[in-house]
Amino acid sequence: MSDLYLVFKNLTRNKLRLILSCFAIFIAFLLFGVLGSVQKVFDSGEEASSDTRLMVVNKINFTQPLPIAYVNKIKAIEGVASVTYANWFGGYYKEQKNMVPTFAVDQDTYFEVYNNFVVDPAQLQEWQNTRTGLMVGRVTANQWGWKVGDKISLSSNIFSQKTGGQTWEFNIVGIFDGENPQVDTSGALLHYKYFIETQTFGSDWVGWIPLNTTEAALNDSVASAIDEQFANSPAETKTSTEAQFAKAFIEQLGNIGFILTSVVSAAFFTILMIVANTMALAVSERTNEIAVLKTLGFSAKRIFGQVLSESLLLSIIGGLFGLGLAALLVTGAAQAPQLKSFLPTLMFPTEIWLKGFAYMLLLGFVTGFFPAYNAMKLKTIDALNRS
Amino acid sequence: MGSVIKQINAVIVMSLNSLPQRLWMSLATLLAVAIVVAVLLAFLAMGNGFKKTLESTGAEDIVIMMREGASAELNSVLMRDQANLIEEAPGVLNDEQGAIVSGETYVIVDGKKRSSGTDANIPLRGVSSRAVDIRDNFSIVSGRMFEPGKNEIVVGSSILSEFAGFELGSEVKLGNAKWKVVGIFDTGGSVFSSELWTDIRVVQSQFNRGSSVQIVRAKLESPEAIEQVKAYIAADARLNLDVQSEKTYYGEQAKNVGGVINYIGWPLSIAMALGALAGALNTMYTSVAQRSVEIATLRAIGFGSLSSFLGTLFESVVLSILGGVLGTFAAFLFFDGMTTSTLGSSFTQIVFSFEISSDALIDGVSLALIIGLVGGFFPALRAARLPVILAFSSQG
Repeated sequence: MSDLYLVFKNLTRNKLRLILSCFAIFIAFLLFGVLGSVQKVFDSGEEASSDTRLMVVNKINFTQPLPIAYVNKIKAIEGVASVTYANWFGGYYKEQKNMVPTFAVDQDTYFEVYNNFVVDPAQLQEWQNTRTGLMVGRVTANQWGWKVGDKISLSSNIFSQKTGGQTWEFNIVGIFDGENPQVDTSGALLHYKYFIETQTFGSDWVGWIPLNTTEAALNDSVASAIDEQFANSPAETKTSTEAQFAKAFIEQLGNIGFILTSVVSAAFFTILMIVANTMALAVSERTNEIAVLKTLGFSAKRIFGQVLSESLLLSIIGGLFGLGLAALLVTGAAQAPQLKSFLPTLMFPTEIWLKGFAYMLLLGFVTGFFPAYNAMKLKTIDALNRS
Repeated sequence: MGSVIKQINAVIVMSLNSLPQRLWMSLATLLAVAIVVAVLLAFLAMGNGFKKTLESTGAEDIVIMMREGASAELNSVLMRDQANLIEEAPGVLNDEQGAIVSGETYVIVDGKKRSSGTDANIPLRGVSSRAVDIRDNFSIVSGRMFEPGKNEIVVGSSILSEFAGFELGSEVKLGNAKWKVVGIFDTGGSVFSSELWTDIRVVQSQFNRGSSVQIVRAKLESPEAIEQVKAYIAADARLNLDVQSEKTYYGEQAKNVGGVINYIGWPLSIAMALGALAGALNTMYTSVAQRSVEIATLRAIGFGSLSSFLGTLFESVVLSILGGVLGTFAAFLFFDGMTTSTLGSSFTQIVFSFEISSDALIDGVSLALIIGLVGGFFPALRAARLPVILAFSSQG
């Protein structure tokens, strides 16, 4: 107890210095918390994807379509459990800038393949039986304030109605959730048939073909079986796991992970230098006292422990405040609708608390080790002579 | 006045003489400021480079036409007869071959990104000879132009640095056909340098496009003639097109993404600057504490408090400015001219270079200066108010 008391007294001896060091650490952990949460969103596509889900796209590029006949051919391949198909609709709500990720899908199999979505069975049934029915993700429904029973119209920046114009009428019949917060529930799903019957071009073609394999071990063999089957046909395919597909898509935006990691590392390195120097200074100013403590019979080990505890405590106080504010900011920002459309799965993950705490310990240890070591090795007689 | 300058000088010399005692602390502050400035410059250079690429793309006297509401080339489609009608629009410039109008197809194909090894979207633009007539800054830098009717492509110069497999003479498989890279072209750092070009008819037949195109470009007699074209299109019921100048189209995109990068860069840099500020304050308070006896002694022999204040402030500002210069230097060394690519609003990769602008330099040094001034102000205030009695006590 008396040790802790000494540590505490030493920490608070120079209040201004304590506040400044704490503030510097606070900033570093604030950045770590916020940027870590953002990074998590970009990784979530990869992490939330199911082990057994594959994506079949046109080999030229995923924006090129595939013949709808491929769906049944793929279903017949050994190791395929369920298959569906989807088309990008290019949807927006009222104005071009209100992008809604809208997919024209096969209503009977879509939720069978995307089994990480949670949907009420009655609503699912209703959607499957309603030609103009729209199934909306929770995030998108909240963003625009849509409820089950609403009649809305969505426009497409790609397709046109046979009758002219680019607007389709829909009835919202269901809202789906994710089985965990990592699952992106932004988007709206319409019947492929409704869309194909009304629009002027593009029938018999689908955008991409998602499927589930019976077990993850078969992924590679199923993927190569599919690609071989359509080799040298007018539309060759490229089959990858959903995780690979998600990763490639994020990489298209640029090396976001690298940028975020660099900024956090730069911030930490800066703070590390500042705090390490401050600790060294604080301990060297106390040379006399440490010598006196040793004279009084405090063991070298105990002195070492005291100084190290001091830097650990400093790091943990600043770090907890930083992560705390980061959690508040991220959780608050996650409610903002503009951000929801851009970072749909934004949240403050527990993982950041754990990682953050590990970094606090590391920072405390690194900044305190040398001053503590010097204090431990201090020769009492020299120290007392020096003054 | 001269005596004040002398006094300030004396305090500065004293600060500098005692610097070795705080060498590591001062270096840490200097480096902290340098890192903050370098991070800020990196973000600003990224936003600026992207903007520059897009801004150098559009021309005032080129009008582009896409299907109504398409918003990007990828989503647009125009039938051949619509494209033909445009050739008769008033205000479009003519040469000996007729109206300078270029109908172009736009297909996305995969390329391997060198940085990640993953597939990325690259535009394959099908063009006629008119595409070159309409763009003033097009030139073949090596190899030759593709021959019409053959599976040959020319590759934009920016593609080579970021994507693998498009070297001169190599074969690229797109769909069932193999294409030969016969030339490298450059368009003066514009977006088109991030594209592959080939004969429009070959694209239309290989990709089942019939005779449709995605976009029609027309050269205007003057930038003002766009109004004539708009009126002509609006009056014809067969033409449901969005008409805008090429400059406007790319300028919009520049605003969007460039703005996003700035909105991210500034808050991050300011947060980091606050951390560096804490370090600077710490260093300067230590500096004042270490020199308190000396400062008090100077006060005792008649130095004014202003000189203690300014002398201390000077130390902090010098440290920060040095840090700012170091950070700028590092940013130039590491980031300036570095190329990277991101997904543009046409859903394809746009290659651009980091470019540090003169505005960014001023921003960077200002940020360093603010850290120096604020980080020195409060400690300097303390130095100015030190009680003279300290000079006569045995301990500082």
